Amino acid sequence: MYVGVTTHVAIAESTESAYERAFEQHWSEVFRFALAWTNDWTAAEDLAQDAYVRLWNHRTQLDWSRPVLPWLLVTARRLATDRFRALRRRLLSTSHQETLDADPALRARWLDVCAAMTLLSPLERTALVMTAVEGASYEEAGRVLGTTAGALRAAVSRARTKLETA
Amino acid sequence: MEPSRVSRILEDWSAVAHAARRPAAAPRGIVIRSGLLGTTLASASLIVAALVIAGVLLSRQEPNVVVGSSPSPRESVASAAAPSPSDGACQPDEVDARITLWEGAAGSRIADVELTNTGSRPCNLETMAKPWLASGRGDVLIEGSTSRETAIITLAPGDVVKTLVQASNYCGPAPEPPVTVVFVTSYGAAFVATALSPTDTTLPPCNGAPGSAGTIEMHPWAR
Repeated sequence: MYVGVTTHVAIAESTESAYERAFEQHWSEVFRFALAWTNDWTAAEDLAQDAYVRLWNHRTQLDWSRPVLPWLLVTARRLATDRFRALRRRLLSTSHQETLDADPALRARWLDVCAAMTLLSPLERTALVMTAVEGASYEEAGRVLGTTAGALRAAVSRARTKLETA
Repeated sequence: MEPSRVSRILEDWSAVAHAARRPAAAPRGIVIRSGLLGTTLASASLIVAALVIAGVLLSRQEPNVVVGSSPSPRESVASAAAPSPSDGACQPDEVDARITLWEGAAGSRIADVELTNTGSRPCNLETMAKPWLASGRGDVLIEGSTSRETAIITLAPGDVVKTLVQASNYCGPAPEPPVTVVFVTSYGAAFVATALSPTDTTLPPCNGAPGSAGTIEMHPWAR
């Protein structure tokens, strides 16, 4: 079938608007996922941003009729576990925690909760946050974190024990 | 009933995390981060202008490295201004770099590196990047300097380019394996080459005093 220029333009526009919608609807969830994984505000902002850059780069290959949030979360996790990410951040790393800088009380609260969460591994922290804060099922969280529901339950249990006994 | 310690921590976590502000605009490719001279377009223009001026000035000098094969008809010499991903610049997740051989030379080691476009679209690769020798833990063992001149090669999916990276004078402690090479582009992407083997610790010998700086240089990527 002949696909005219007008059709190509329409496809490009709809892809761009789908990307914009994904940014407006899910940025906050992607950021919180990244924050749970890294326990580092600046790194989480970077991760969320990089996940969206990946989404932008893959926008023409994605099936936009399916939920995009799982794709974003899995991408953020993969980016976070890239052991050379620290090298790249050396080039671009700067503190841009505008939310925290603007609110000293929020900053103080974050420092306390961050210190408590340091006791947990990234998997334990993220499993706990996804299930207890974000309301994800163990199956959903397991798919995003690349593990089984059983392993997630164990991680959440360990996380709770560590935080209770700290 | 008093909420548990875990509940209190999670409540605090949720309250703080939900306060995060979404950036004003959705990112579309690499962005200039705040703090890197600011986020304004004017600042970005200043950086690009400085790069172009530096490129022009430095191009009058002899380059440190021997330039390999001349650009093919598909290559075009570009200014030092960085291509953006929207121009089709190669991203780390669409290329695969790997060290295929370490060669010995007097006082140095030379890595043969191949890079393949494993993505589904053609992408533009800067022929020169800033090379790093890195340990398996991600420590930078030797940091090269930013290239003085670069060209752009367009890589079709499956295309392979090669380079040689010469490292000299590593006088630091034994690094965690595997030792590998990282190529950092002008737009901040880093291509991490797969090491020759998971246990590889090839290092250039120390030629100077303990702790003295090493050097690392690359030839341009070429077909």
